[in-house]
Amino acid sequence: MTVLTVEDKYRIEELLRREAHLLDERRFREWLGLFTDDAEYVIPLTEAVQGDVAPAGHPIVKDSKDMLLARVLKDETGFSHAEIPTSMTCHLISNIVVDESPKEDAEVRSAFVVHQARKLRDEAWWVGRRRDLVRRVDDEWRIAHRVITLDTSLLPRGISIFF
Amino acid sequence: MTLVERLDQEVAWRRGEISPEIYFDEELYALEQERIFGSTWIPVGHADMVREPTSYVTNYVGEVPVIILRDPAGTVRGFINRCRHRGNMVCLFDRGKAHNFTCSYHGWTYGLDGSLVGVPRERDLYGPGFHRADWGLEEIRIADFKGLLFASLDKFIAPFEQWLGDDARWWLETFVLGEPVGGLEALPGWHRYRTPGNWKLMAENFIGDNYHVALTHASWFRAAGEMRERGSQAAMITSPLPMRTKVPTYEVTAGFGTGCPLGLGALVTQGEALFERDMEEAKRLGPEVVDWLRYRQDRMEKALIGVDPQPYGFINGLLFPNLGLMGYVSPMIGRHLMLFQPHGTTEHEAWQWTMVERETPEVVREIALQRVYQGQHMAGVIAPDDVENFERVVEAMRTRRAQRLPLNFEVHIDDDGDEFPGLPGNVGKEPSEVNQRQFYRFWLELMTRGGGAVS
Repeated sequence: MTVLTVEDKYRIEELLRREAHLLDERRFREWLGLFTDDAEYVIPLTEAVQGDVAPAGHPIVKDSKDMLLARVLKDETGFSHAEIPTSMTCHLISNIVVDESPKEDAEVRSAFVVHQARKLRDEAWWVGRRRDLVRRVDDEWRIAHRVITLDTSLLPRGISIFF
Repeated sequence: MTLVERLDQEVAWRRGEISPEIYFDEELYALEQERIFGSTWIPVGHADMVREPTSYVTNYVGEVPVIILRDPAGTVRGFINRCRHRGNMVCLFDRGKAHNFTCSYHGWTYGLDGSLVGVPRERDLYGPGFHRADWGLEEIRIADFKGLLFASLDKFIAPFEQWLGDDARWWLETFVLGEPVGGLEALPGWHRYRTPGNWKLMAENFIGDNYHVALTHASWFRAAGEMRERGSQAAMITSPLPMRTKVPTYEVTAGFGTGCPLGLGALVTQGEALFERDMEEAKRLGPEVVDWLRYRQDRMEKALIGVDPQPYGFINGLLFPNLGLMGYVSPMIGRHLMLFQPHGTTEHEAWQWTMVERETPEVVREIALQRVYQGQHMAGVIAPDDVENFERVVEAMRTRRAQRLPLNFEVHIDDDGDEFPGLPGNVGKEPSEVNQRQFYRFWLELMTRGGGAVS
């Protein structure tokens, strides 16, 4: 397990802050560059269940970096109706804590509020938490695994943005 | 005259002109809750969701909350999720296991047979005229069609098998539920999202709109093509599509001209190229997948003896009024089942669950599931673009002024006959709007049955 210095923690937090700006500025190719090549991006299903029942059969999203790229390419065609005109997003990332991790070089937990505004008056608020496993690659911190928990079991609209 | 009183003229499905008022009119919406969602068989899930005794799922029939459960004796039953005392909901979870349901307001408690089994301070507060037996949860009719569960709020409705015509039953059993190849298994969990637009917009789209596919989903086809050129093997990018094999596709109407319509789109009758494609993928995945695919194909061909031509699969479909179907063009894709739940005139909710063929090898299963949640799904690459169209529809037509001119449903209107007498139902040209017209034929019949006024 890597022992994290204060500087490591600062740089990991900085990664998340800069990532939010890349998303809001729609610099998606650069955003993809923050992920390791073997990265996985997951949004599990949120449900309210009672008692001992089988877990959900599949998540909302489980993307490889390839699939994330496919989504970016889709919007770049200029024919993705869900992103015409493009969504205005503001990612507010907060409550960041960085811990050592037995699986990767560090684990980062954060909370987010994302506002998505579309067209004249359509909008959605997305609230939840992320748990990222980050890895040091050539002295840069990269996201190797992200789990996004959305605080809703009925999505306000289809997802065409990133968290 | 209200819309309900002039509905016959406004829903001129025979000549392909329908008034957009049917998506926005409040009185009509209330009547729909009664005559469509209150008087027909409405899909509520699958028997696998309540596989074990004491397990339940909650859902809605129209906008009426219901609990679907398997009682300790093993029978699937349905109840309205409403306490008889003050009308509070008695079950708050999406799914679970319970031995009883206790209302959070005053504590009336109901057993899994719906009977009232507990009333706090009953002896102090109620007189001899109070009988628990009179105050159980309201039970609703449930039909289990090979695992697919339907509910009806109408106690006197004809049995489900009669509601469904022979042609619809054949297509459901053979191609939707995969009876010849061992049937389907439902995976736990509702995937749910709000969708702008009246529920009928989505129902119409699923029952027969293959005209929109090329334009609405152009961005995905282009991006997937580019990813394939880059050599990507991601499941959704390599997903089997008849468009890529250039075989002709057809539109099926089971219940053409009479009864409850089941529409299926992009039916493939020349499945060789798709089977070849599936076989290539199977070879990459291992010998047990090859064996399964061959065995599956043999069984399917045997089940289809006497049917000419033998269909391979279809892409989209809808059983009237609101059970959407996707993913039936290849066993390498999971089955998407969607309930388009009405939620006011200008919004509906999509409640989706996934099924796979029970005998699917584990390695295929994972890929088949990915092709569900990466596809026609709330976070997939297909559904969000459909939903966006409906949001714009609402914005464009919410005023009465904008609803003045009719909408056009004329594709192949004079040319929608059966081209394959050897197949059940009416199988004809595609793209067509034959199934949208059949949807409104039956919808109008139900809506005008017994006069125009809201009872």
